[in-house]
Amino acid sequence: MSPALVVLLRLGARSLRLHKLRSSLSILGVVFGVAAVVAMSSVGEGARRETLAQIAALGIDTVTLKPPAPPAGEPAATLPRAAAESLARVVPGVQAVAPLRVVELQADAAGRSAPVIALGTTPGYAEAARLELAAGRFLADLDVADRKRVAVLGASVARALFPLQSPLGESVRLGGDWYRVVGTLQERAAPRARAAAIRARDLNRAVIVPLPALDRGGDRQPEGVDEIVFRLASPDGVAAAASVAQALVRRATGAAPEVVVPREILRQRERTQRVFNVVTGAVAAISLLVGGIGIMNIMLASVAERTREVGVRRALGARRRDVAAQFLVESSLLTVTGGLFGSVLGLVGAVLIQAFAGWPTAVHPLMLAAALVVALGVGIGFGFYPAWHAAGLDPVEALRRE
Amino acid sequence: MGGLGGVKHPPDQGPPPLVVLRDVVRAYPRGSSQVVALAGVSLEIRAGEKLAIMGPSGSGKTTLLSILGCLDRPTSGEQLFEGRSVASLGDDELSRLRNRSVGFVFQAFHLIAQLTVAENVETPLLYEGAPLHEWRPRALRALERVGLGHRADHRPSELSGGEAQRAAIARALVTSPRLLLADEPTGNLDTRTGEEIRALLDELHAQGATVVLVTHNEALGRGAERVVRLRDGRVESEERR
Repeated sequence: MSPALVVLLRLGARSLRLHKLRSSLSILGVVFGVAAVVAMSSVGEGARRETLAQIAALGIDTVTLKPPAPPAGEPAATLPRAAAESLARVVPGVQAVAPLRVVELQADAAGRSAPVIALGTTPGYAEAARLELAAGRFLADLDVADRKRVAVLGASVARALFPLQSPLGESVRLGGDWYRVVGTLQERAAPRARAAAIRARDLNRAVIVPLPALDRGGDRQPEGVDEIVFRLASPDGVAAAASVAQALVRRATGAAPEVVVPREILRQRERTQRVFNVVTGAVAAISLLVGGIGIMNIMLASVAERTREVGVRRALGARRRDVAAQFLVESSLLTVTGGLFGSVLGLVGAVLIQAFAGWPTAVHPLMLAAALVVALGVGIGFGFYPAWHAAGLDPVEALRRE
Repeated sequence: MGGLGGVKHPPDQGPPPLVVLRDVVRAYPRGSSQVVALAGVSLEIRAGEKLAIMGPSGSGKTTLLSILGCLDRPTSGEQLFEGRSVASLGDDELSRLRNRSVGFVFQAFHLIAQLTVAENVETPLLYEGAPLHEWRPRALRALERVGLGHRADHRPSELSGGEAQRAAIARALVTSPRLLLADEPTGNLDTRTGEEIRALLDELHAQGATVVLVTHNEALGRGAERVVRLRDGRVESEERR
């Protein structure tokens, strides 16, 4: 830093301290403006990170097909299981495909019980849903072919039912039937219910069994499934693959299935995020504008009461730009101080929002840097006119002013 | 810019004058008419001399001093400072000239209240661009010269009138200017302190400074080598002692 800047900063700080109350009141606008930006953007950032986490769990290269919603009062429709096999052949770039039956059930074992999501599926599900085993093995083709009553437990199910021992080889009762545990899954980041763009299934609560072994009885078609999940080798063709799959299922069943493409949802979410950002930006801009006008006002007052000092400094050899620099440093010091307080207030606000509204928040460090840069910009921008006015004062007249 | 020939001096007459004014007019617009503060003043100031500009209030003394110190520009007429035409200098160059070559001493001291005495004296060094480590020693030297070294860390409000004016003189001296301009330097002081300030200015003059005093105080003017009397914006008389 040049000696001039050091001295000007010291001078500015001293002159602001001289009018503590006035200085603090004048930066309130900037404080609240910056606080609003920091708090709102941490909400936005939190939502963005959560979406990204969910996308990562689901995979941006996966597509889920669901039966069309039935008319009110009719039982839920299903998709033909055979469609899964034809998808694997017809849709280009399919790496893994799995049909799914889903039932919410109670699981019991060794005197404990837990509510679980029972998933009946095929071995391809491990790859389609990116499942990682913690112990044991996943379903095998023979398990499906022989309708074996084996199960793979999600991490929290395993913990709830077998807190003290390894669940491998133990038995679990699911909807009246006993299953032998052959494997457990690793813990996965659980999707949060609120503010979630995509309702991802919590696989920690899942018990995965062979598709034909999950008997729901009743009036359902034995070959009907609730979902078909497939994963592509590359995320690029995901939209095209989704529409091919949709057309294929429509031809087979006569009704177009619902298609969930996480990547498309991500895009959608980004568009929503952009709207949120624009609104946040507008709120911030308005409060900073109001804050800036306050700064300009206080700086004009400061110039007016220090007119004679300006005259003296000009007589001692200050150039116009030296005078302007002095006032600009002072206004910038005001707004950067406001920016610092505002950032702290914004962070407190973000913590409170998370605690009371339950929205996830996250702070991007660049955001804080940007807040300070914006505060500096407000100081320079709105300090410019008063500084320019001071620089243009006639030295002789300024000296004569009392 | 004609007339430069008129101020050239043969080598045997010594260096050219520090300041030359030729037919300098300073008029301010006021409403539809003009107020003429200086109505054609010609004056030369030689390096090392002590000059008193005297006259009743409203005679244009302070305006003349502002022009001599390049704080103000003539409406018309010619002005040379160290041989250079002031009219050709831009605002930044005039600021630099005031910083390096002129020291102002005001009747009301004009110390900056928030700064300590030493910081006031250091102020011209900010505009000179002096390295920071030189500031304090140079300010202290200037304060020692006016006998105020012991007051360096006081606030201007803690000084007596005489001390404040000494501090202001130290501030004027800190860049070692060639020209010291004092506008009624004893006007706000009692007789005895005024006398001290007069003695200080005499001492600085004796050490080689060019001193121009504006005053209507006959006693203060008496010590000058030359007295220029102004009336209604014109030089009424000029006497050498």
